[in-house]
Amino acid sequence: METTDINLFVRTSEETISDWNREKIVNALIRETLIDEETANQISIEVEQTIRKAGVKMVTAPLIREIVNAKLIERGLETARKMHTRLGMPIYDVDSLILHPNKENANVPHGPEATNLTLAERIKKEYALLAVFSQDVADAHMNGDIHLHDLGFIDRPYCSGQSLEYIKRFGLNLPHSLSMAKPAKHPEVLFAHLVKFAAALQSNFAGAIGWDAINIFFAPYLEGMSDNDVKQLAQMLIFEFSQQAVARGGQAIFSDINLYWEIPKHFEKTPAIGPGGVYTGKTYGEYEKEAQRFVWKLFEVYKEGDGAGRPFFFPKPLVHITEKFFKTEGWQDFLYHICDVASDKGNTYFVFDRGETAKISECCRLSFKLEERDLKDAKEPWRMRYCALQNVSLNLPRIVYLAKGNDTRLFDLLTERFILAIRAHKEKRAFLEKLLALGENGPLSLLTMKQDDMPYLRFDIATHLIGMVGLNEMVQVHLGEELHESNRAMKFGLKVISHLNLLTNKIRESEKLKVVLEQTPAESTSYRFARLDLRYFSPTSGRIVKGDIASGEIYYTNSTHLNVHTPMNPIERVTNEGKFHPLIEAGSISHIWLGEAHPTKEAIADFVIKTFRYTTNDQIAFSPEFTTCNKCHRTSRGLSNTCSYCGSKDVDGITRITGYFTKISSWNKGKLGELKDRYRNEHYFGQERQVING
Amino acid sequence: MSLKAEKVPIKGFIETSFIDWKGHLSSVIFTGGCNFRCPYCHNSDLVLRPNELEDIPLDYIIKRLKKFKKWVNHIVITGGEPTIHKGLLELIEEIKSLGFNIKLDTNGSNPEMLKELAKRDLLDYIAMDIKGPLDRYSRWCGIEVDVEKIKESLRFILEGSIDYEFRMTVVPFFHKEKDVYETVKYIKTAKRFYIQEFKPRNTLNPSFMTIEPFSPDKIKEIKENVKRLFVLKDAVGVI
Repeated sequence: METTDINLFVRTSEETISDWNREKIVNALIRETLIDEETANQISIEVEQTIRKAGVKMVTAPLIREIVNAKLIERGLETARKMHTRLGMPIYDVDSLILHPNKENANVPHGPEATNLTLAERIKKEYALLAVFSQDVADAHMNGDIHLHDLGFIDRPYCSGQSLEYIKRFGLNLPHSLSMAKPAKHPEVLFAHLVKFAAALQSNFAGAIGWDAINIFFAPYLEGMSDNDVKQLAQMLIFEFSQQAVARGGQAIFSDINLYWEIPKHFEKTPAIGPGGVYTGKTYGEYEKEAQRFVWKLFEVYKEGDGAGRPFFFPKPLVHITEKFFKTEGWQDFLYHICDVASDKGNTYFVFDRGETAKISECCRLSFKLEERDLKDAKEPWRMRYCALQNVSLNLPRIVYLAKGNDTRLFDLLTERFILAIRAHKEKRAFLEKLLALGENGPLSLLTMKQDDMPYLRFDIATHLIGMVGLNEMVQVHLGEELHESNRAMKFGLKVISHLNLLTNKIRESEKLKVVLEQTPAESTSYRFARLDLRYFSPTSGRIVKGDIASGEIYYTNSTHLNVHTPMNPIERVTNEGKFHPLIEAGSISHIWLGEAHPTKEAIADFVIKTFRYTTNDQIAFSPEFTTCNKCHRTSRGLSNTCSYCGSKDVDGITRITGYFTKISSWNKGKLGELKDRYRNEHYFGQERQVING
Repeated sequence: MSLKAEKVPIKGFIETSFIDWKGHLSSVIFTGGCNFRCPYCHNSDLVLRPNELEDIPLDYIIKRLKKFKKWVNHIVITGGEPTIHKGLLELIEEIKSLGFNIKLDTNGSNPEMLKELAKRDLLDYIAMDIKGPLDRYSRWCGIEVDVEKIKESLRFILEGSIDYEFRMTVVPFFHKEKDVYETVKYIKTAKRFYIQEFKPRNTLNPSFMTIEPFSPDKIKEIKENVKRLFVLKDAVGVI
């Protein structure tokens, strides 16, 4: 019987309705898989029969494809089936996606752009798991042994850090853009270039876009400007970055700005580039006062908050505290100034660069120590472009459920998982290499543009991140004590992280792959791992996961952090958490949750100085909580169901989720569980000095 | 060796506080018992039932203070009311001898004790609560109070050489707004005066728990009005 005999129509994916044509099945099978023509033909005949038996008048192309896949499975042609897989989503899911907000990443707003992003992410995620990664790696991700971050952005590197110098020197000249701009002559224009370039970068990277020493590199443009104009510029910078809700998927650009009170040593003698992209004849060391003026004004803006008095969510200001900081005139006033912001709005990140190492921070927690080559680059700072290709996190508690108390087994499994993560890195690396090789006609043309003697993305020195989730729970299962409960637990925790650190060194030597540990922000991963372990490893996991099992608001403690719920002297928290930081090269943080408390700036400054002097902690941030009113547009301290100004119930809670501030209504269940648990240091900061007895 | 006076019952201890001594990290020691019964007090257990709270051994506290000494070398003694205990002198002497700075929180009802502490050079900072206008002091304190003692403490602090602050907890309805301004009259030459917001939690008189705190706008307005009443314009702080 000829296929045309069937009175059947097919709705194709090209929005047409075609007549039934069995040959199309054969062609697709031969084009997409490795099976022979005979088998393909046979399958197409079977599919035709199946459809005929059903007696329908109209079928869709996706349905035909799935029937073909069923036939492939019947024949045991698993490889062929995979290659022939269709990626897509059920209509139910698309419907709810369009109607309801995404909770995986609280930085994604709800709207058509966001829906586009999520839809694309879903397909790319499936694509990544089927076509980019090997089955072992993909399966390990699916069952929660490891987590491959940002799979929906499989065709982009992870994050990027750079300096303003690139656009100061080369102007704004993006591949395929409609016009090119020469280096900026005026601060406002430079600033416009910055925001546009950041947006362009954001569409080529999955995660954070960081800017190094931004106040220093702006400085040559600020000479002769009045204080008011500098303030205006600071205001523009912060508002533009925090309101860029029209960038990728309607998200704000995840932006970090690194700030210095002093001119760091590695930029002191660097020739400064000024208006028009020309050297000013001075070095950055000579722009200290201008750089200070700008950073001061930036923090004035942070202190004021947005139009409703809320803290700005982006850009995140990272202030580097170094030995030189304390030797630079005015440091104390500046420290009080930024501590005032820390207490009042929470924005300030205090990054501690001890000793002689110079560091640049890139995204949430990612910082790099500058090596010899980098210090040479520091003379021509536009060359300083850093990137991490991918982030893979290990589910640490999972390992101990399997090791069942056996130390040797535990460390074996840890090594196994680490090696699996390295395989994942190599696979993504190979994939990106393929995309980058397409050059200026490829999807990542921005990253291959060569304005100096090398591509924008310096692939050869790119980093690969290994994160960890739930060290605290891992130790709890293995020893019966959480990290904060005994020295023995703490020591074991350190041993685990040291082992991982050692593995990264080995890989760097043996494979020439730059692998470093990072404290994963794990906004959704700590929830995902806990959920999966609850499914596979009950009842043990049920006693271990944090949060509330009944409501499903469960989580593992992030990275190497100590239990967030346990009342603990903040001194002990930053000291003990800080013990892990030297082992985690890509940077770490300790959070001090403030709740509604409002500690004095002087006490915070005192604490910051001592954390720098007496601990090995890399970075700290203080996080207050706010209630912002959607009726009267004012913001008050603490989380509350009603507005303390007008009494309206139409309010949003705001606080830090992991590495950034956001509205609590957008949080996933795991993070909500953590929020309820967070110990807000009320015994240490609280205005009501309740007696702690015993 | 002198005979040790009755030991001060220590009922609470905060190792590290960010708010109790402006400008510094501090540790806070709570003594049990109080001679006042301010209805809005939020440490009612400490005031009404100190004996039901366990004593925290001084040895333990000293051990912890020493452990964190390089972080925290400012110690706040608060209550209850610390000056009702004769042993306070010895307690502070012991801590002071370890090289710590001392701040004393007091309601000002024992000026003799303040003077003795000052004479022995044991205090680095005094924070005195002023509960409301002095002509109705017993009303604010929930108990008969000898106002002359309060006045004596005020004078001693204002004229003395030890650094200090005054502070007042303002309770809606209980205090009229003008009571705040009237209170300021007694201390208008002071260099620091802090208004503390009342929070309706764990109050000594349970009926105070239903009082709605001031709106942030009202508090701001009161603070601004208060500022104008002081002689030293810059020196007045508000929490």
